[in-house]
Amino acid sequence: MSSPPIPHSSVVQLFEHFGADLDDHNDRRERIIKASRDITNISKKVIFLLHRIVLENTNNTDDVALAKRAAQSGYEKLRDVQSLYAKLAVELQGDRYWRYQRQVSPGLQEYIEALSFAHYLDHGSLITFDQVQQTLMDPHGVPYFPLTSSDHLLGLSDLTGELMRFAISGISRRGGRKKASEVCAFVRGCKSDFERMTPYIRDLNKKQAVTTQSLEKIEDAAYAIVVRSSEYDLPPEMLDDIVAQSISNYSSSGVDNGAAFGHDTYHKHPSTGRHRGRDINDDEDDNR
Amino acid sequence: MDSDEVEKINLMLERDVELREKIKEHVNEFDKRTRTMVGMLNKIHTTPSDANRLEIAVPALLDSARTVLLSCRETTHALSVTVPENQFWRWKDMWSNPIRTAVFAATLIEYLSGRTLLSLPQAANMIGIKEEWSDRVNLPVEDYLHGLISLVNELSRLAVNAVTLGNFDEPIKISIFVKELFVGFSMLNLKNDTLRRRYDSLKYDIKKIEEVVYDVSLRKLTVGSQHRPLAPAS
Repeated sequence: MSSPPIPHSSVVQLFEHFGADLDDHNDRRERIIKASRDITNISKKVIFLLHRIVLENTNNTDDVALAKRAAQSGYEKLRDVQSLYAKLAVELQGDRYWRYQRQVSPGLQEYIEALSFAHYLDHGSLITFDQVQQTLMDPHGVPYFPLTSSDHLLGLSDLTGELMRFAISGISRRGGRKKASEVCAFVRGCKSDFERMTPYIRDLNKKQAVTTQSLEKIEDAAYAIVVRSSEYDLPPEMLDDIVAQSISNYSSSGVDNGAAFGHDTYHKHPSTGRHRGRDINDDEDDNR
Repeated sequence: MDSDEVEKINLMLERDVELREKIKEHVNEFDKRTRTMVGMLNKIHTTPSDANRLEIAVPALLDSARTVLLSCRETTHALSVTVPENQFWRWKDMWSNPIRTAVFAATLIEYLSGRTLLSLPQAANMIGIKEEWSDRVNLPVEDYLHGLISLVNELSRLAVNAVTLGNFDEPIKISIFVKELFVGFSMLNLKNDTLRRRYDSLKYDIKKIEEVVYDVSLRKLTVGSQHRPLAPAS
């Protein structure tokens, strides 16, 4: 089999074509990396937003409603990410997605972390694979790209860290301890579900180690609460009020007035304490 | 996670593992055949120096190597059946090595039989890759280029051994051929990856070939040098 010799100019042409091909690929890769960084950025901001909202001081101590409100804000902001993926979809069509999967992955996992956090605040449950894929589809139900079980699970694994922060930073609020023990049970469940999948997914092992640490932190916090509250023979909400009152006394009477807190506060009659609690809330409103 | 979801995800993961194992089987077969070819082609450095015997021995060698190359079409076909739609880039790294070796072998055979460069589409055809499979099995530019670089590595070695076997014209043919390829490669904008590093090694091959050309020309061993003095190869 002898084909006609390729003249010099053809070799040059051949390589020009290769050059264009490689340039096209590298340029696309860069565009995807940039988009991925933007996605990571927005997702991280959403996570901070969610934490911020659930810690808002409000009159209405209905944590469930507050959590749902946070979730809605989160979903809204995450629509920016979804539109970035919509734009990116054209670069990832056909067999291209897998060529750039490693560049898409980090941003995608961050997005799933943020989305699943909002979902937890909204529903108290773990978002499913199908539900995540549904957020990454065009109006006709065509996915922007195929979601992989790997990215899904790695994103969910990161969620446990945020839940730990959520549980602990809210622990001193009304109902915080109940919430913390719910989160504790939830994270424990996640950890055991993921364990079965670690042989199949690279890096899930490492994330499980982090999840274990997070779980321990929540467990330690829950323990401390049980031990301490056992010293006082009062229902948990009342203890919350007493602590809240003490903090408010401190800030409303200024730093120098040491009398604001001390044992007097703790030994007040429970009903008085509750009454004072309501007043304090009103004060806070006036001061805002 | 509810138990349905857990089951569903585990099923997905297990399917991926099974797929990987099936692909691995085909890749191992591909690998075996390319290694066989490389073993055969290694003989070009030692085939007899006697001109007559050379003319018989090398083509025969190339024919047997070509047969093995064409047999690779079975494995590429098997891969095209196993790899799911649009997942070429997901699995391709599993067979990068054999496919680059196949390109190397194919281009080497082409050079030795016709002294020309086998183009990418021609190489893909030899290995049995069909257009309609391109989303499952394909010959991307990068793998073709890796194959070419291996070809240059091999030719620089052949230049030396050809002279040892008494073939004084081969190095000059090789030099012309390889320099053209090098010009082509220099036109590419490469990232700092393996391809770039291997490209960088090309200049040492060229230097080696040029030294051989220099040696044989100055000593007036080549046909061309017998008629007029040759300047040292630049």
